Amino acid sequence: MISRFFRWLGTDLKEIGLTFAEGDWKTKLSFLLMGFGQLLRGQIVRGLTMLALEGGILYYLLDFGWGYLKNILTLGVVETHKEGRRTVYGDNSFLILLYGLLTIVIILALIYLWRVNVRQNREAEQRLKIGKRLPTNREDLASLFDKNFDKTLLALPVLGIFVFTVLPIIFMICIAFTNYDVTHQPPAKLFTWVGLENFKALFGLGGEGFGGTFFYVLGWTLVWAFFATFLTYFLGMAVAIMINKKGIRLKKLWRTILVMTIAVPQFVSLLYVGKMFATDGLVNSYLLKWGWIQSAIPFWDNATYARILIILINLWIGIPYTMLIVTGLLMNIPAELYESARIDGANPFQTFRKITLPYMLFVTGPFLLTQFIGNLNNFNVIFLLNRGRPQSMSLTNNAGSTDLLVTWLYKMTINDSNYKIAAVIGIMVFVVTAVISLIVYNTMPSVKDEEGFQ
Amino acid sequence: MARRRKISNAIVYLILIVMSIIWLFPFVGLVLQSFRGEYGGMVNYLVPKQWSLANYQFLFGSGSNFPRWYTNTLIISIAVAVLQTVIVICVSYALSRMRFKGRKALMNIWLVLGMFPGFLTMICLYYLLKQLGLTEAGAVPGLILISVASSGMGYYVCKGYFDTIPKSLDEAAIIDGATRAQILWKMIIPLSKPIIIYTALVAFMGPWCDYIFASYVAFGNEKGYNVAVAMTRWVWTNDYQGYFTRFCAGGILVAIPVTILFMCLQKYYVEGVTGGAVKG
Amino acid sequence: MKKFLAIVLALCLVVALAVPAYAADKTLKVWVADAVVDFTKEQIDAFMAEHPEYADYAVTVEPVGEGDAASNVLTDLDAAADIFGFPQDQLARLVAAGALIELSEENAAVVAEENSAGSVAAATMGDLVYAYPLTADNGYFLYYDKSVVTDPSSLEAIVADCEAAGKGFYMEINSGYYMPAFFFGAGCTLTYDADDTGAFTACNIDYASDAGVGALKAIIKLAQSPAFHNGSSIGNATNVGAIVDGTWDANAAKELLGENYACAKLPTFDCEGTPTQMSGFAGFKLLGVKPQTDDEKLALCDELALFLASGEVQVARYNAAGWGPSNLAAQADPAVQADEALSAYAAQGAFTIPQGQYPGDYWSLATALGDSVIAGDYNSADDAALLAVLQNFQDTCIGYAK
Repeated sequence: MISRFFRWLGTDLKEIGLTFAEGDWKTKLSFLLMGFGQLLRGQIVRGLTMLALEGGILYYLLDFGWGYLKNILTLGVVETHKEGRRTVYGDNSFLILLYGLLTIVIILALIYLWRVNVRQNREAEQRLKIGKRLPTNREDLASLFDKNFDKTLLALPVLGIFVFTVLPIIFMICIAFTNYDVTHQPPAKLFTWVGLENFKALFGLGGEGFGGTFFYVLGWTLVWAFFATFLTYFLGMAVAIMINKKGIRLKKLWRTILVMTIAVPQFVSLLYVGKMFATDGLVNSYLLKWGWIQSAIPFWDNATYARILIILINLWIGIPYTMLIVTGLLMNIPAELYESARIDGANPFQTFRKITLPYMLFVTGPFLLTQFIGNLNNFNVIFLLNRGRPQSMSLTNNAGSTDLLVTWLYKMTINDSNYKIAAVIGIMVFVVTAVISLIVYNTMPSVKDEEGFQ
Repeated sequence: MARRRKISNAIVYLILIVMSIIWLFPFVGLVLQSFRGEYGGMVNYLVPKQWSLANYQFLFGSGSNFPRWYTNTLIISIAVAVLQTVIVICVSYALSRMRFKGRKALMNIWLVLGMFPGFLTMICLYYLLKQLGLTEAGAVPGLILISVASSGMGYYVCKGYFDTIPKSLDEAAIIDGATRAQILWKMIIPLSKPIIIYTALVAFMGPWCDYIFASYVAFGNEKGYNVAVAMTRWVWTNDYQGYFTRFCAGGILVAIPVTILFMCLQKYYVEGVTGGAVKG
Repeated sequence: MKKFLAIVLALCLVVALAVPAYAADKTLKVWVADAVVDFTKEQIDAFMAEHPEYADYAVTVEPVGEGDAASNVLTDLDAAADIFGFPQDQLARLVAAGALIELSEENAAVVAEENSAGSVAAATMGDLVYAYPLTADNGYFLYYDKSVVTDPSSLEAIVADCEAAGKGFYMEINSGYYMPAFFFGAGCTLTYDADDTGAFTACNIDYASDAGVGALKAIIKLAQSPAFHNGSSIGNATNVGAIVDGTWDANAAKELLGENYACAKLPTFDCEGTPTQMSGFAGFKLLGVKPQTDDEKLALCDELALFLASGEVQVARYNAAGWGPSNLAAQADPAVQADEALSAYAAQGAFTIPQGQYPGDYWSLATALGDSVIAGDYNSADDAALLAVLQNFQDTCIGYAK
């Protein structure tokens, strides 16, 4: 991998050198003034874009970016201090890191752009040399809606994802290597790089760690995701098959009733459902009134009850989705398959196992995977129902028995401003889920066989 | 045989009726609470002792900014639904129909990015938005920007749907001299009504539930609140006593448009999502 | 690709445009709880009318509850309000984050002279006063239903009455705020020493003792009662026979209990056979000023905060929203003296300790202990086992002060 990279780098540098050595003065000047060669060869659109980009980036770097980038190794040294009672703010480590990273990215973009610029010059020269004409401005623009339409389509989405997803993720990964917490909060306090300290703290290498709690929470997160995904899936399928059954009337009504849970916002419905199961909530009150129980059931106070209840309530949310999807898919299964199975004397259960299920699993593979990942990070259900309670003396750092890694992270950042540890755990979550899903995703038949759907 | 079917159908009916009751129960509970005229906190009975519209009157009275919050949310939802649909269609078309360098890598990277716990980056997004002036009073455009900016990653279902439209159609069109843009506009989009409605519907429903990031972005400025941020304060903090019935009333008002929309478009939703998962 | 990059750069430029600057501005933002927003606006108008020298300042008041205010200030100090109300348990956190400016010497002297000693202590870190006491009613006592509870002076009697009537006894024993009612009552201490940067230097705790075990046993016994519900918020309680709650819920309690409404100091509990008075925290709401880069605005903030926390305004605030004052003169006001809930709270005051500063981890540790009790983990534990639990608790608490 690494040697391949260096080989590639070598050939690339060689080509740049060749371009300079063999190129004419227009090309040579383009090495400094991007787009110059293109402009002089009549490719005004390309030339101007390049020139404007170079100007813009350089202006950005000098005017804004450099001020942050120069401090990125220390994350700021000037402390906030007081002159009399007036406060004079020093460096802001947070902004230095954020805009420093942005600047690095932009410098990389400039280098890439410069490389493209050099290549464009070389290609143009070579085309002219063998007597071909260059694409006109009109052709350049038109290609953006035809041959290069993908670039037009993807430009905005890629940019948006880059700035508002990738950059923040890189930022948070960096936070894991700093001491950013409640006693190091910008703008009044500085934070700085601390290497692997936080990872050591998490895994107890440096004395009192909370690795035990981490694995406890991770374990429940996996158990939860498994049950939440597959119970919902199979029960949802069962419901869909029941509604689809021959001779059942009012199919539409049943579906509509179930689907109503999707339409009510979860922060309303889950909050209400959560309170229904309090020791003095609706459920316990009616059970007591009817004499079915002698004392209230501690649904949310007992770790096991709370876990089971959360999985059950999640069924209430999840079954309608699965039901809808499966309903649509059931209609797609060729009727001949069932017919021949019936002639062979298969009972309904056998047809389900031999025909319906394999078909469903094949088709809904990606759906299942996204559900599983979604459940690993299912913040709403846990947070709105009981906020991860009950806690226990056997767990540290605010973790509760029903906390998922995400809700635990949330408590750390919001309640404790403990960003450094939250970032470390965030990375762990990320690694675990990313590895699982990449492997599963890329071995799924329906994905491998991307072209084979039609 | 017929007898057996009758029995099994009876069992199925029984199950469906029980399920319907369970599924409707919280919904009915919310509606009943919202009409409760007496004491506004939690109670342990279902049917109000005193019926009243007072909770709804409160929401539209001078004591609350509910109409403002509602409008904010509606604006966000509509804008997100439109823009997100456009972006998802663009991405899905490019990934489904065009073959370019780095396509596979892009898809894998996006898949992985979606797994990073989102709200860890909230504070970072907050500062980016603040730099753009899109926090506090500017929270509404700020929230739209954030929702739309990352929506490209949610292309799965839509791309799956496009994959099922035969490529031979494209090839024929290209021979006839159509550009890629024309193919998307004149051919793919008219064939994709279910998936477009599905995408827009899902996007429309999202903002109604956004309470954590939205409260970050509004940063205490009531004018920038959406309904979720404003109303969760009523039940989560000690500052509001006896607001529970008002919370329920607000929740019902939020649920109504989403429910109606969902009921009307349910057919497309099903077609979209199943067609997107695959078409046999 | 070109187009894409062009947009990247355009966006970067936009991002780059506004360099964060702490320039002198003429706006001032105040955060207070929703219930007193209008009241605060009126008071500020009155203040501004008397101070024409600040006429060019535009003051806005936004409804941000005390808890949210503290977390917002910690998220982004720059955009946060200049003057904000917050609960005292956030003081150390805010000071540690550099989010509060200490009072000027003159203001500190005024505050110290006019307010109750406990409230001043609550606003002090090390030897610096960091905030203006606003209320002295952030503690808890007992609300009960007269028709259910016959003798509100003993926990055992109250619980027995509630059980008999099928009603609930509510107390949020899994909270580090309510739980000490037992431990402090039994004679234990748990306080932290902090320096004036908001760092905790020492923990004074003796929970791991016979007294601590006695208190813990009383909590365990309470949690096993069928009448017990964990919670101290009237709004979430559906079946109240008696509830340990604070003045902020007084109106809701009146509405819920109607003519059976009554309140009293906390009862005694049975600690190893001895009836022992429950203790608890006396807490305060504070008003803070964030550090300012401009001398003139700082002067305005100082004056305005002092005014909003003055005795006169505290009385007016009591009349407008029922917030119990911390100012000694305001506490002597006849209207305040006549308030039922505040009187019950004052009666409890003889047995409470002023709430000092606690590290954030303390609150989650207390929740963990409380949740373990409620879950029944210790129902069959003997004294030695309970002592071990408390020893662990104590060691962890001490560990937070390093």
